[in-house]
Amino acid sequence: MTSAVSEPRTAPTSVAARAVDVSKVYGSGEAEVRALDHISVEFASSAFTAIMGPSGSGKSTLLHCLAGLDRLSSGQIFLGDVEISAANEKQLTLIRRDRIGFVFQAFNLIPTLDAEENITLPMALAGRKPDPEWFDRVVSTVGLADRLHHRPSELSGGQQQRVAVARALASQPDLIFADEPTGNLDSHAGAEILGFMRRAVTDFHQTIVMVTHDPVAASYADRVVFLADGKIVDEMLEPTADRVLDRLKNLGE
Amino acid sequence: MFKLTVKGLFAHKLRFALTALAVMLGVSFLSGTLVLTDTIQRTFNELFANVNRGTDAYVRSSEKLESQVGTIRPRIPASLIPEVGAVDGVASQGGKPVVQGQLQFSAQLVDKKGEPIGNPGQGSPTFGFIWDDFEQLSPWKLASGRPPRADDEVVVDKGSADKADFTIGDEVTVLTQAAPAKYTLVGIAKFGTADNPGGASVSLFTQAEAQRLAGAPNQFDGIAVGGKDGVSQSALALRIARAVDLPKVEVITGDQLTKENQNEIQKNLSFFNTFLLIFALVALFVGSFIIFNTFSIIVAQRTREMALLRAIGASGRQVVTSVLGESLVVGFLASLLGLGVGILLAGVLKALLSAFGIDIPAGGTVLKTRTVVVALAVGTIVTFMSSVFPARRAAKVPPVAAMREVSIDQTGHSIVRIVIGIVVTILGVGALALGLVQGEISLVGLGAVVVFLGVAFLGPIIARYASALLGSRPIAVLVFGAGALMTLAFGVGAAWALVGAVIQLFKSEFGTALLMLLVAALAAALAASCVNLVVAARAAFRIEGRLGTDNAERNPKRTSSTAAALMIGVALVALITILASSTKESIGATIDKAFRADYIVAPKGGGFGGAGFSPALATAVKKLPEIETATGLRFGPAKLVGASKFLIAADPKALNQLFDLQPTDPTASENLGPDQIAVSKRIADEKGWKLGDTIKAVFPNGGTTDLMVSASFGVGQQQGLSDYFVSLETFSKNYPEQFDAQVYATLKPGVSLAAGKRAMVKAVKPFANAEVQDQAQFKARQEASIDQFVNLIYALLFLAVIIAGIGIANTLALSIVERTREIGLLRAVGMTRAQLKSTIRWEAVIIALLGTVLGLIIGLVFGWAIVQALKDQGINKFAPPGPQLIVIVLIAALLAVLFAYFPARRASKLDVLKAISTE
Repeated sequence: MTSAVSEPRTAPTSVAARAVDVSKVYGSGEAEVRALDHISVEFASSAFTAIMGPSGSGKSTLLHCLAGLDRLSSGQIFLGDVEISAANEKQLTLIRRDRIGFVFQAFNLIPTLDAEENITLPMALAGRKPDPEWFDRVVSTVGLADRLHHRPSELSGGQQQRVAVARALASQPDLIFADEPTGNLDSHAGAEILGFMRRAVTDFHQTIVMVTHDPVAASYADRVVFLADGKIVDEMLEPTADRVLDRLKNLGE
Repeated sequence: MFKLTVKGLFAHKLRFALTALAVMLGVSFLSGTLVLTDTIQRTFNELFANVNRGTDAYVRSSEKLESQVGTIRPRIPASLIPEVGAVDGVASQGGKPVVQGQLQFSAQLVDKKGEPIGNPGQGSPTFGFIWDDFEQLSPWKLASGRPPRADDEVVVDKGSADKADFTIGDEVTVLTQAAPAKYTLVGIAKFGTADNPGGASVSLFTQAEAQRLAGAPNQFDGIAVGGKDGVSQSALALRIARAVDLPKVEVITGDQLTKENQNEIQKNLSFFNTFLLIFALVALFVGSFIIFNTFSIIVAQRTREMALLRAIGASGRQVVTSVLGESLVVGFLASLLGLGVGILLAGVLKALLSAFGIDIPAGGTVLKTRTVVVALAVGTIVTFMSSVFPARRAAKVPPVAAMREVSIDQTGHSIVRIVIGIVVTILGVGALALGLVQGEISLVGLGAVVVFLGVAFLGPIIARYASALLGSRPIAVLVFGAGALMTLAFGVGAAWALVGAVIQLFKSEFGTALLMLLVAALAAALAASCVNLVVAARAAFRIEGRLGTDNAERNPKRTSSTAAALMIGVALVALITILASSTKESIGATIDKAFRADYIVAPKGGGFGGAGFSPALATAVKKLPEIETATGLRFGPAKLVGASKFLIAADPKALNQLFDLQPTDPTASENLGPDQIAVSKRIADEKGWKLGDTIKAVFPNGGTTDLMVSASFGVGQQQGLSDYFVSLETFSKNYPEQFDAQVYATLKPGVSLAAGKRAMVKAVKPFANAEVQDQAQFKARQEASIDQFVNLIYALLFLAVIIAGIGIANTLALSIVERTREIGLLRAVGMTRAQLKSTIRWEAVIIALLGTVLGLIIGLVFGWAIVQALKDQGINKFAPPGPQLIVIVLIAALLAVLFAYFPARRASKLDVLKAISTE
């Protein structure tokens, strides 16, 4: 069931994360649902990968499993050379804290903390101080320098997502996972966020894996992986919105 | 809508279980108190019905002295017996009319080890009676042996005989106002079917011996008469009244006597009843804050649901009805449960009281309809009322709220709130002050409740600012340090108990070993909680603690109403602690300043009043060659110019030598003669009495006595002494029983303290209940009896504090539900379970500290006010005990961590993925 795209193409050091024959099954017997069906996939370092697919294709499940938020039914997931599918709850937490960045669709921020505190939250949890130079660079990139001491309730939706992106970048993680990061934004704010993410990869050599159903969002990525019925059905390098849309139509949406 | 109500209940089982628990505990305390007092009342009612079973008429004095210790009547002459016996209608037995003189006096049995049986100072009384010749009139039935025939023979109750392991033929020592004497035990009697009358220990003597011991030659307290069959009680009483031609004597029927006895007990019990009910009401009051809080949070959390209901056409009224309906159902179910638990709790309360030395008889369990109605009504109404405000808020939710993201943060920061809060608080303080000045306890209570409500109203504003302060680093450092010390202490305690358990195990003392194991487990659990406290305090320096502080701060209304519940409990605990320490300090100061005695003979075990020693003890002490001066002190109630007072009698010369009373004229006070009284200068000034004036006094022995004010003292009750003194001579004449409550003595110059004490100990040896104490010991004993009382109050307040703790757990649990997504996010970006627990614990600690600090402040203010009001009662030092108050704070913090255990655990077990995708 492995598709051609999962063949290793790069040296192991340049692979940020990989899934090896992973399956995720909910329920059993009649009610069994295979959210992930023997998937193997790799995500290259310093690349921006989008995962797309129709609702129920398993794209979010794949992201959650890759990020150590959800457990596999079978298979292995490696973050760099660490097998996170074998890590325990505590190890997973520390991996998420130190090596993974997150941008969710909504409710990304802690309402009682201001923007700066939200950005540095993972480092604060680790008891580490952020690298000031890097912090300034991230903050100025996302254009939040004058909003650092505002609380989330004082920020617009777009600004809140920028804080979330800044947080994901601030600790210089091995990998950033974004789950429909523009799903709740208007197109202008969405474009802004995607622009920042693109820059993070191009200029700062970060690695981003993003789940989206928006072909425009996917067009910012270096590569698009298409899922359907829990299986990887195709992939596309240097995508454009039109090509992605066409491909999606062919997936039988 | 009713369907919705029921569904609402089932959808939020846990939160309602916790609310119900708060209601249930309060109601169970309430119903437990009612059941206990009803049970005691019935026990006594049956007791008196039994005592007076065969009595058809009762002859007694018509004079009476109403005092704090009950109604006291003078005795009547024994010469009435033949007169009464000759009345037509009086039954006869063996050719003799059924007429029996009765006497009741203090008589304490001494067991084989030489220890007194029972402690009339704080437990059931110890009585002596005449053995009734007539079976009809006597509630006593011999279990073995025979009645006393000679004056050196005694019958004792089966309860005491069993306790002391007495058998017929034993020599038994009895302590009375006459010198201690030995009697031969000839019989052991049961009181009806019980082993003793309501826990009292009883000795029964021949009539002549009883009269001698009671100091009542040719006298009786009253005369019981049995009537012939067919003669009604009232007819018999009337005939006797006609036949007895003596002023100041009255005849009542047996039924009347029983009724009076029962009423008197009811009056005595009502104090006790009120005392317990106050604590039940405190528990309910604290519980009402929890209910209020729970419903407020639930309404806030369901704002969208309510708005949706409104949007699809439900009226505001229907929404209110749905919330109120929930409260009614919860209130009623919880009250029903509380009632059930209360019936069991009655037994626990009784055990608690008896553990503190207040042993009251109670047989069977009395569940009156009134108890059921009161418990259900109070519990339901308190729940209902507490949910009215939240329900109204629910009705105000506009339908459009269904469409938008609703912020649940409601920060109470209006000027209106500040003004109302301050006005209410001031009103409460005013009522409290007025109540204290006028001695109106109900006004004091009302004032206190209003003050609590006022402060609770200001709470959100206080919480806004105080949360950040309490979550600050200096506080965290203090909590950290204290927590570390407590960890060490409990850890050492646990280790010590564990070692002890092992040692006991080797000695094959399995019971003790098990007990010590339990202690070890408890100490270990507390040590673990202290570790959590330390960890939470350390977290305060880091982001996870910061988040806890923020959480406490972000919803000040919720934080403050949770804290308010604890505040009430802590305020009362602090108040009691402060009052106790002020009282102790005052007594201590009095003893240090005014007492010149080297040694004091006081009853073993202490207590509040009760009998003391035969005057023979003072005489024996006085005779010792080592003793310079000694006198007994007797206390007694009297009516002075119409007002009920307690006065003290002593040998005037000795009194002046043994106490520094600052007499205005030392010669006059040393020569206080018969029918003369010495008063404190303050009272003399207040009443306008001058030396040489005559005041009217009524004493237990009857009649009105003119007492001349012959001396005045600079110190009195305000200084912890008495305002009224008479000589022992005056006392003997006017009181039926002569018991020295304490005997004070100074040694001759040159006699060493050790030698003096040795001699005194030897002299008081026959008096089994006497103990020789130096001033420090005496002081310690006085303090110990205060401590004992205070501990009882702590135990009763414990429930209120537990309810407040449940409130903390409830609020945390609910706010965790509210913050599920936030918690999910925190966990997703790398917060560990341990860190999350610390966050929640630190939030709990802040809430607890807020409640505790507010409670302490209120406790201090109340304590100060009450000490000011009690100045006249001799409590003249305001002495808040620093270390104890700090301990209260620490215990509150510890409790918070304990109660945060389950919410913290629950939060840390949340599934991260589910949490972040929660709506």
